[in-house]
Amino acid sequence: MDFDFSDEQKMLTDSAARYVRERCDLDSRRKAAKTPDGFSRQHWAHFAQQGWQALTLPEAHGGLGLDMVDMAILMEELGRGLVAEPLVDSTILCGELLVSSRNEAVASELLPLLASGDALLALAHRENDGRCEYDTQVTARAKPVEQGWILNGSKHQVFYGNAATHLVVSAEISGEMGYNLFVLDVTSPGITMDVYPLIDGTRAADIHFSEVAVPPSAQIHSAGSAAKAMDSAVNNAIVALSAAALGSMEAVMAMTADYLKTREQYGQPLAKFQALKHRMAEMLVETEQARAMLFCALAALQGSDMQERRHAVSGLKVLMAQAGLFVAGQGIQLHGGIGVTEEYAVGHHYKALMVFEKRFGDSDFHLARRAQLLT
Amino acid sequence: MNLQLNPEDLAFRDEVRAFLKANLSPEVIYRSRTEVHPPNEDDRRWWNGVLNKKGWAAPSWPKQYGGPGWTPIQRHLFEMECRLAGAPELRWQGLRLIGPVICEFASEALKKRYLPPILEGTEQWAQGFSEPGAGSDLASLKTTALLEGDEYVVNGQKLWTTEAGYSELGFFLVRTDTTSKHGGISMLIIDMKSPGVTVRPIEMINGDVSTYEVFLDNVRVPKGNLIGEPGSAWTQTKFLLANERTSSADIDKAQGDLRRIRDIARKTQKNGRPLLEDPVFRQQLAQLELEVEALDWAVLRVLCNAPSHHPVAASASVLKIRGSQLQHKLTRLAVDALGLRSLRLYSREDAFGASASDAWPELVPGVMVDHLYMRACTIYGGATEVQKNIIAKQAFGL
Repeated sequence: MDFDFSDEQKMLTDSAARYVRERCDLDSRRKAAKTPDGFSRQHWAHFAQQGWQALTLPEAHGGLGLDMVDMAILMEELGRGLVAEPLVDSTILCGELLVSSRNEAVASELLPLLASGDALLALAHRENDGRCEYDTQVTARAKPVEQGWILNGSKHQVFYGNAATHLVVSAEISGEMGYNLFVLDVTSPGITMDVYPLIDGTRAADIHFSEVAVPPSAQIHSAGSAAKAMDSAVNNAIVALSAAALGSMEAVMAMTADYLKTREQYGQPLAKFQALKHRMAEMLVETEQARAMLFCALAALQGSDMQERRHAVSGLKVLMAQAGLFVAGQGIQLHGGIGVTEEYAVGHHYKALMVFEKRFGDSDFHLARRAQLLT
Repeated sequence: MNLQLNPEDLAFRDEVRAFLKANLSPEVIYRSRTEVHPPNEDDRRWWNGVLNKKGWAAPSWPKQYGGPGWTPIQRHLFEMECRLAGAPELRWQGLRLIGPVICEFASEALKKRYLPPILEGTEQWAQGFSEPGAGSDLASLKTTALLEGDEYVVNGQKLWTTEAGYSELGFFLVRTDTTSKHGGISMLIIDMKSPGVTVRPIEMINGDVSTYEVFLDNVRVPKGNLIGEPGSAWTQTKFLLANERTSSADIDKAQGDLRRIRDIARKTQKNGRPLLEDPVFRQQLAQLELEVEALDWAVLRVLCNAPSHHPVAASASVLKIRGSQLQHKLTRLAVDALGLRSLRLYSREDAFGASASDAWPELVPGVMVDHLYMRACTIYGGATEVQKNIIAKQAFGL
């Protein structure tokens, strides 16, 4: 067992760290949040030049064939810079659903576009009544017709749905049990969306499908494989987003320690006050436990035991969210008033971590899942 | 990066498991698992000897002095398996604290005299560090050792000297020079039967005695019993602590505690069903199980020298803080799971198996006293607050 980075992994860290340092200042993030996309197309294009969209995709389809450890290394650095581009949603979550598909034709057409950043995929699975991807009841219906299906239904709060070129949509085929997954061009007639901003400056959309013609080639998972593929893809997405959350926590600790050294009150730097030093120490304790759990989950992803993966990923989700909101919350507190202003980064990290906590099952959901798995 | 245990490590673990299974009797396992403090001394000395015959008594020693030559991961696996199998916990003072210091710093004569009985378990040691006026601020200790001819004459008082009442030997921090704070401290080996050594037991809140006050009144100690150069004890102490970077996480005990809590919850009823099926209890247990799992990986990372944004001294303090907090929580959940029964106070004889009945099953003794004893774990070995100061300085330069 060893946790050392390979030379390639060191290069990946360095180049991501450099990019974040040079290009991902808070001002650029705030500007991007005000554009209709809610993120920066410039960043997205740069990521593509670096091959970051391609990182985990198979080499046969234009990817680099690296694994989730590499992705986690990249995401931690990007998380430090509050990177809000849909790398995880498009290439990890939807990418994994395409990679695990038996539909070779659509995989070989879309994966290279995904890898180059030319296609941007969003997952349209959760519906109005569900709290998360795991518990949503799929009521969208695909009615078989001579050539494929006709799709009707609505999907709720699709992250990055506004900017997607394609949607991965879950729907039940009339008369079957369990949902299928289809990939649709977002410009298909009959698709409409209501777009709104989220607290982190990104956008989500409620998406409606009305009499949308779905060709046979659009089916990427049948009812037999869709749920299992979804489980796997969501596992990977949680792990990648957790790494970004860890980056946020490291960034918060670094900026807070700097602030304590410079800000003076009662004639001395805040860093002299033991109560504040101890708070910083508590933040590191939480962060280090969350980091340890990230490696636990990465190890489980390498194994083939589905139960073990769920167990580790749920654990990671709970611990990272608990630790993250604690660390960013304390970061705000130690900054005082400036910590709650829009022009200072610490509050943005808090919001990013709040988004992380809510997505793909919140802490309550995942702790309950761990409790269920207890023997 | 390789996040899985190597095949050799898995094979090693199997070997350890088989050895433990063949050598531990149900009575010994039962006594160990009560977590009564202090543990049964006869069991510990016996087990020390059994492990020594196998060459496994001193995992942290260099091979040339009798260590088995294991990797840090193998040491970790060994300790975890021993705990989970219910092996007696060996005394730390000789095997884990002073043994490695003697190997590293002491004269050949001291090595020859003192190392073999530690391996055999025939001489046990006390650690004389803290004093009434020197707790967290250890370097303010006042016990003096002044040279008179070929002997040091030692005067002073030590406090919290664990297991001193039944130890043959002690290693003491003494002041050989009163002009320098850290640089005036030396480490001296003292025979606990020397004239002038008085040991007074301190009864603790768990109702038992595991730690002592030691009074040193003109105790005459051969000059050669000083380890290394006079004034070098601070370096030796830092070495001793660095050697035990991950042990304060108490991860093997935490895993054992989780098992104990599950056992209790399976056999305890709530509303006519096993407590383990109660949703609120399951949620609490799931949270602690998760925190233990994270701590386990944090320990593995330190053992493997994983790359980190922060210095290793900070990581060691992180492990101590989280490990000790978890001891509070785990032993408390065990108490809560047991409910009212946890309040019964057992004599040592009864706790070690003499009193079990249907109304008072074997899983009751030791649960509360372990919790009470473990209140000390956020205080001993560097209090939580001291660890936080270390982290603030090491990780953040505060």
